[in-house]
Amino acid sequence: MRLSFWLRWSGRDLRKRWPQVVAIALVIAVGTGVFAGLGSTTQWRRESNDASYAALGMHDIKLSVSEGSTAAAGRLRRLVDQADGLDGRVDVRAMEERLIAPTQVDASIDDEAILAPGRLVGVPVSEGGPRVDGIEVREGRALGPSDDGQPVGLLEVHFADGRKLAPTGALKIAGGASLDYVGTALSPEYFYVIDPRGGLLGAMDFAVVFAPLATVQRLTGWAGRVNDLVIGLRPGVDRERLVAAIEDAAAEGAPDLGITVSVTEDDRSWQVLHDDIAGDQQFWNVFAGLILAGAAFAAFNLAGRMVEAQRREIGVGMALGATPATIARRPLLVGLEIAVLGAVLGVVVGLLVDLAIGSVFEDLLPLPVWKTPFQVGVFVRGAALGVALPMVATAWPVWRAVRIPPVEAIRTGHLAVRGSRLEALARRLPVPGGSLSRLPLRNILRAPRRTLLTALGIASAITTLVATFGLVDSFVGTLTVADRTTLAGTPNRVMVELDRFHAVDSPEVRAIRDLSVVGHAETGVKLGGTLAPLSSKGGGAERSQAAGDRRSEVNVLLEVRDLDHGEWVPPVSKGRLPRSSDEILLAAEAGRDLGVGPGDTVLLRHPVATTAGSTRIEETIMRVAGLHPSPFRFEAFLARPDVLGLTGSANAIQVRPAPGRTVADVQRAIFGLPGVASVQPASAMADALETAIDQSVGIFRVIQYFMLFLAVLIAFNSTSIAADERSRDHATMLAFGLPVRSLLRLAVVEGLMVGLLGTAIGLIVGRLVVEWFAVTLVANTLPEVGITAQLATGTMTSAVALGVAAVAIAPLFTLRRLLRVDVPSTLRVME
Amino acid sequence: MAFDEVTTRPTGNQQGRSTGATVAVQMTDVSRRYLVGSSEVAALEGVNLEIDEGQFVVVLGPSGSGKTTLVNLIGALDVATDGEVVVTGRRITGASRAELSRFRRDTVSFIFQSFNLFPGLTARENVQFGRDVTRRRGEGGDVAEILASVGLGERLDHFPHELSGGEQQRVAIARALATGNRIMLADEPTGELDFHTGVQILGLLQEQADAGHTVLVVTHNREISRVADRVIELSSGRIVRDGPPIEGKVPVDELSW
Repeated sequence: MRLSFWLRWSGRDLRKRWPQVVAIALVIAVGTGVFAGLGSTTQWRRESNDASYAALGMHDIKLSVSEGSTAAAGRLRRLVDQADGLDGRVDVRAMEERLIAPTQVDASIDDEAILAPGRLVGVPVSEGGPRVDGIEVREGRALGPSDDGQPVGLLEVHFADGRKLAPTGALKIAGGASLDYVGTALSPEYFYVIDPRGGLLGAMDFAVVFAPLATVQRLTGWAGRVNDLVIGLRPGVDRERLVAAIEDAAAEGAPDLGITVSVTEDDRSWQVLHDDIAGDQQFWNVFAGLILAGAAFAAFNLAGRMVEAQRREIGVGMALGATPATIARRPLLVGLEIAVLGAVLGVVVGLLVDLAIGSVFEDLLPLPVWKTPFQVGVFVRGAALGVALPMVATAWPVWRAVRIPPVEAIRTGHLAVRGSRLEALARRLPVPGGSLSRLPLRNILRAPRRTLLTALGIASAITTLVATFGLVDSFVGTLTVADRTTLAGTPNRVMVELDRFHAVDSPEVRAIRDLSVVGHAETGVKLGGTLAPLSSKGGGAERSQAAGDRRSEVNVLLEVRDLDHGEWVPPVSKGRLPRSSDEILLAAEAGRDLGVGPGDTVLLRHPVATTAGSTRIEETIMRVAGLHPSPFRFEAFLARPDVLGLTGSANAIQVRPAPGRTVADVQRAIFGLPGVASVQPASAMADALETAIDQSVGIFRVIQYFMLFLAVLIAFNSTSIAADERSRDHATMLAFGLPVRSLLRLAVVEGLMVGLLGTAIGLIVGRLVVEWFAVTLVANTLPEVGITAQLATGTMTSAVALGVAAVAIAPLFTLRRLLRVDVPSTLRVME
Repeated sequence: MAFDEVTTRPTGNQQGRSTGATVAVQMTDVSRRYLVGSSEVAALEGVNLEIDEGQFVVVLGPSGSGKTTLVNLIGALDVATDGEVVVTGRRITGASRAELSRFRRDTVSFIFQSFNLFPGLTARENVQFGRDVTRRRGEGGDVAEILASVGLGERLDHFPHELSGGEQQRVAIARALATGNRIMLADEPTGELDFHTGVQILGLLQEQADAGHTVLVVTHNREISRVADRVIELSSGRIVRDGPPIEGKVPVDELSW
């Protein structure tokens, strides 16, 4: 028989069940389309990252002097020149010194107070600079040689856009100096903005201002000084060799500066953007896998029913001597045709997903170069999956069907009726009400395979929804814990950071204490450090092997404060507060990552102030006194500042507003004082996390809409199959005078039961997926924040509502069919 | 719209049988035509008949003679193209879908060739279904008693696939009885059964007629017509004979085929 014959025949089969065919094709399309669409973003981001970093000349090597220190301009450059085996003309493309200083930025517009911590980045602007870590102007104009020394700069675009600022305007920085920003800009180290105090959460709340080097030197009072040098190498240069040589040169020539040499991959922004791709891909894989699973269950469901409906024809074919291969041709062709339809629609869905998610990414991660080419490979893989799924789904029931003895296949009437093993259970299960009340449960138990396939299909959609909502819940839950721990008892605390260390009785500190808006002021020290695990407990001094790996270390913000009588002391979840100089209080998350608890020791790498006024890096063994419950891993507390060589000094002040004064009053009053780097409420960190959550929600919304569509499709498909299968039951009921609304009620009740089952499975699996996201995925990409997996009541209620509503509404789509049922004809059908 | 109530008189004008009983079914110039493709096919043409309450009527005819259409029209599963159908004094012609549904629930009960039991319900529950639909709780005896009356007292909690064909048809009869409706319409009730089981089923139907039910049995098996009070023979959609069995009514146990 010719192919056209089979195509015609299978085409008729498709037409006969076109609503189900379209539904299943759409389910497959959503599955493969989301898979292909989300999969494309991985390649886009890789290409866009590479092109963006290349376009702006991301540094290969960076030298940073320790916090609070500076070097005379030209000193860092000379150190590099002296590095053994380095030929500046051959190896180096460009090398530039910079001055980077923390500050506070006041970008207030009219009545809206916009005060944010930030950073002044002084860069060379002559000769087309900066040529390393270049600046792309988004709006406004570029900085030129004539700007050097002038109070002008460029505002980092994340902050400007996030706070909806005009492309040009005026700023005030700590100390009260004014600066005009002449445009908004992007630079590689800030492709993803990381607040040095709050880890990854600084996109909108950390203001970076790029300004000419001389301007920053003047504004900070560090004339002729720099604290940072970036190097761009020529292609093919052995970077590691140069890093080692520069490190040696720095240790020998500038031990007073505490120089750290880092490379591109050490940049946190670079790490986040790259790690994030892999993390997101895992994230997308899980979602695509869940959606495809839903599509697979739905495909199995429909294919099974179609083959079952052809049972007798298959039997007749066998009776006529047709081979199984010939018999299988027709249903397999149907499967193939659905597959092709699904795959074609999948490409369309994929393009829609690309369109939606592409614009979300461009908003979320503004890069100088965004490449979003059509990913042929990913779409081909998606289409291949789209074809394979229904083919496998069809092949299985066909294989089963052709193995049934012909006599059984052609059997009609009562002999064709089969039961299931679950009926024994059904017999004993007491269901209140009459025979009609029992029917829905009996029908479910009578067709356990189809019930399970439907429930699993619904479950996959619910799982995806629960996972997306649950992730947001987990972030919000973390936020609540953060608020609870940092604001407990003193919700109005204001954190003031000074531009450098000042004596606790210095004029700068006194000026703050004496303000009328200040009710209480408490000095402290805040300093960055790194913790590494030790190989043995109880005071062993051996640094563990893992400690050699940069990623096994935990960066901390050491905070020295009065833990005995202070206005606010961190809560302790395990152990106790530190009492002596060699004790430290860690975040539970840090303890977990380092594998330590109360009583254990860790190695603290930290700067120490020298009597000469400079700093050096030292390693000190600290005993973990206890753990605090804050989700922010970097928060670590010390009771005494002597280990840091900072007795009698302070660079941070905690302020409680005077009675009747607000946090904003204190911020405004302190902002203009000399020596102040930043003033922010204690809730700033939690606020930043909230901002990050809000940004992520956009991506989740895209997924959620597709999930909603998928759930309804699966439910409709299942109900439609059920209506098809029960057509004779329905005709009998109609013959006995049962009204259509009663039939509809039976279908809705049956749907509700399956929906509840699917929702329950979806909630359980969704909870596990959220757990995996929190424990594995987020922990890798956002290690600074300890996310605890949780599902809010609202999420569970929404999931139940959606799961149940989707399947309960679906029977309404069969109303037309019920109203038009030809009772006599249906009753006379032999099977 | 409510059904038109029609006053039915004692019979006597239809082809020689008169019992003086109340008319259960009255068909006047009834035709039923279907469109098959572009051509019209007449399944029934100009049928006139009256059936008394309590009669055991066999509708006989070859395939395509219109016998199932006739029963479907009486049972309000189908509507006539022309003419008037009145059952137990209610005019079905022109009734709405909801009224037809209510009519079926309150007036007739069906027994099908392939039984059409609900596979998800046990024998007891299938019969209970008939009771629940009509909401005539407590009338006509307990469900278990009804099943016992058709010889299935020991098979109450079996699912259809656990019963033989004869047993399934007995459940179908019990279900019809459980509705409490006075008119039973059986379309080829023995079509899927062997001779012995078929005879048993006919015996049960005969008992229902004896108990006062109006029973219409559709069959192509001429032998079955011998047990009827009245035989209506159809050919090409028309009644070609209407009257008692030619050789007189015989007891069920005298049948053979």
